[in-house]
This record gives sequence, C-alpha cells and structure tokens, in this order.
Amino acid sequence: MTIVEELERAGLTGRGGAAFSTAIKVRAAHDNDADLVVNACDGEVGARKDAWVVEHHLAELVEGARLVTSGRRDRVTYAAHRGSRTADLLTRAGLEVLDVPARYVSSEETAILSLLHGGLAKPMTKRLPFVYGGRDSLGKRIAPTVVLNAETVWRVSQVRRNGPDWFRRFGTDTEPGPRLVSVGGAVAHPGIFEVGSGVPIRDLLDAAGGLEPRVPALLVGGLGGVLLTTDEAATTAWSGPGMAAYGGSMGAGVIEALDPTRCPLDVVTDLVTYGAGESAGQCGPCMFGLPAVAESWAELARDPNQQTLDRLQDRLGVIPGRGACHHPDGVTRFVGSALRVLMPHIHEHVAGPCPLGRSRHAVH
Amino acid sequence: MPSTDREVGVRIAVDRVLCTGHGVCARTLPGRIRLDEWGYPIVEAVAVDPVDADLAVKLCPARALYLR
Repeated sequence: MTIVEELERAGLTGRGGAAFSTAIKVRAAHDNDADLVVNACDGEVGARKDAWVVEHHLAELVEGARLVTSGRRDRVTYAAHRGSRTADLLTRAGLEVLDVPARYVSSEETAILSLLHGGLAKPMTKRLPFVYGGRDSLGKRIAPTVVLNAETVWRVSQVRRNGPDWFRRFGTDTEPGPRLVSVGGAVAHPGIFEVGSGVPIRDLLDAAGGLEPRVPALLVGGLGGVLLTTDEAATTAWSGPGMAAYGGSMGAGVIEALDPTRCPLDVVTDLVTYGAGESAGQCGPCMFGLPAVAESWAELARDPNQQTLDRLQDRLGVIPGRGACHHPDGVTRFVGSALRVLMPHIHEHVAGPCPLGRSRHAVH
Repeated sequence: MPSTDREVGVRIAVDRVLCTGHGVCARTLPGRIRLDEWGYPIVEAVAVDPVDADLAVKLCPARALYLR
C-alpha cells in the first residue's frame, strides 16, 4: 500500500485546525512534486503540542516528512517561531528551519509560504491551494508547496508503522485517530494529553488536575475558537460535533481555563485587543474591522448599553469571510461566543461595578 | 435578499490583499456589492452578469476584483 492509500484508510485529518484530509494533501503534493513545510509554530493562543512533538518524537516526525516527500529530505523545511526552544531543537538536529516571527498570523499556512519564498510572513490570497503552485497578489511565483502541521506529520509516520487499523482504534468512525490537546490556564496541572475524539471534556480537565475554583469560562481553540461556560464544558464531548454545537471545533487542540481572579469581560478585552493588533494590516475588513470590534467590546464592558451591543453585533456580522486568511473569521467567532457566554455577566455589570468583586484592571 | 447563485452569471471575488477600498465596485455592481462602514466591499451575490462583471473588473483601480 502506498502512504496515500494508508492515510486514506486511516482517515487522518490535519491537526493544525482545519481538519482537512491529509491523504488528499499528500496525493496533491506527490502529483505536483511539491516541497513540504512542517508547521511546528504552535501559533494558536495556548497551543503547545507541536513543541511537544518536536521534543519527544523528532525521529518519527522526520520519518513522516520523508514519507510525504518520497524520501527527499532536501525538500523539507521545519517552521518554528524565531528564538523558540522548538526552533533550537530542530536546528540542533541538523534540520532546515524557517524562522517565523512570533506574531499570531505569521504561522498561518499562506504566511509561512510567503516567508519561505522570500516575502513577508503575511497571509496571501489563496485563489487555488498553493500545493499546485501559484502567485501572490503582486504576481510573484510561489512554487508548489504543501504545509502540514507537525502533529499531522508525526501521525503520518505512525500510520505507516502501526497501520491504518491501529489508527482507527482511537476516536470515532468519522474522526479517527489519536490527537493531542494542550490543556492550560487555571487548572491544577497544565499539560499535553493524547485522546481520541469523543472523550468528555470533563475527562481532559480531570487529567489536568481539575479546574481551579470559580473559573468563569473556558476558551476552546484559542483566539480562533470559542468560549464555553464551565457547565457546557462539563457536559460536552471533545469532538467536532460536540464543539460544533457551540460554533467551535477541535481546532488546533487547545483548552484554556480563564483566570478566576479577573473579570472575564476584561480578559476578553485583552484577547480581542491582542487579536486586532495581530492583523497583518493587509485586508481592510480585518485591519479596520477588528480594532472596531475591540473598541465596541471594551465599551460594552465599561458601560453596557443596547446601542453599543447592536453596533458590536453589526460589526461581527459583516467581517467574517472577508480576509485573505481566516484571522478575521476567528476573532469575530471568538467575540460572538464571548457575547453569548458572558451576557449574564454583562447584565450584572449594568447594575454597577463587577459583581464578582474582581479586579477590572489587573496587571498582567 | 434571495440567492442569485443559481442565475446565469460568472462568479466574482475580491482579492482582499489588493483591495484598498476605492469603492468603485459598489457603483459598477449595485445590488451585488455594497460597502461596509470602512468602505470595503461586501459581496452580496457572487453570480454576476458576465458583461457587468468584465466592466467591474476593468474599472477596479486596485485590480482587486477577479472572476473565479
């Protein structure tokens, strides 16, 4: 069996967030004689799993890359944030490393391709997948290149070594295979856990030693993810369908418990302000829209009123789907979920100071 | 607004990196493209009459409109 056939049988999907079929990507890579970039940036807020793969399974990672590029080691580049321990480990192993600026959108697929091909680490308009080769907006040629998440490439080598049937013993029929989750924030023992789709999120939190008392909400999927109440998290399965019920996904495998010592509205203000500042500044709806969303949210947290709420919701409605990459989609999705989860708390703010008695302007 | 995707037409898209918000497309394709509060196009219907689409593509000062 070829590696593509094995991946097809295994049903491996990308572990970087998009969950696209790895078999289809690898077949396209073979057909187009594409180069490979292994994305080990852990670019999502709270993500640490790619670093874990590099630290603990480097030989298998390299083997997976060899399988994707049909043995051509010179066709593989490992992308990691500049100055990170991951970049250091990869460099010391003698691998070709692409130093990616530690900015949020810099590790997005097309931003990595732009950087790899001599441009800035900013997303490109993807008229067609770049595995076929293509051009950036200014017409510069981008050679056929495929980007795969580090965990995905590690899984490729596992599928070869242990077989598709082994892989399918984990997870569900539609979401097979083991997958890594970074659990962090206000839990007793933050860490990386390997589970199959369908396990209760409660089990993942227990594995991390449980939530600290009075955690106000959980952030699942980072800045491109959604907030869940602790009750929702306690009754939801870690799976695509489980998360889809809240507009989310398993994404890049990140669960963060929000700090119980801070007002959650302020935590969201910080996150959305960060997200707005991380726009690459290329696409109008993102570079102007996200700061406007951040401003509306901050205003809502400070002085909740219907007019501000309406303006925020209007903005959240028009921004998604209008960037070269999905950064604006992710941030608006996150803020939309924060509105839903924290609306009761916003109503409490209407009555006066934060009823949780929490510092509204904690130093961080 | 009813979906116009089933009507005969070509599919129009915006290269968001190239678009600088001149707003010409909202004039050349009224009812198909409107502008947001920052002046950037919102494509209401991707299926556009081929002749109108060609003109809009030609008139975009940023050369950001393209046919799929």
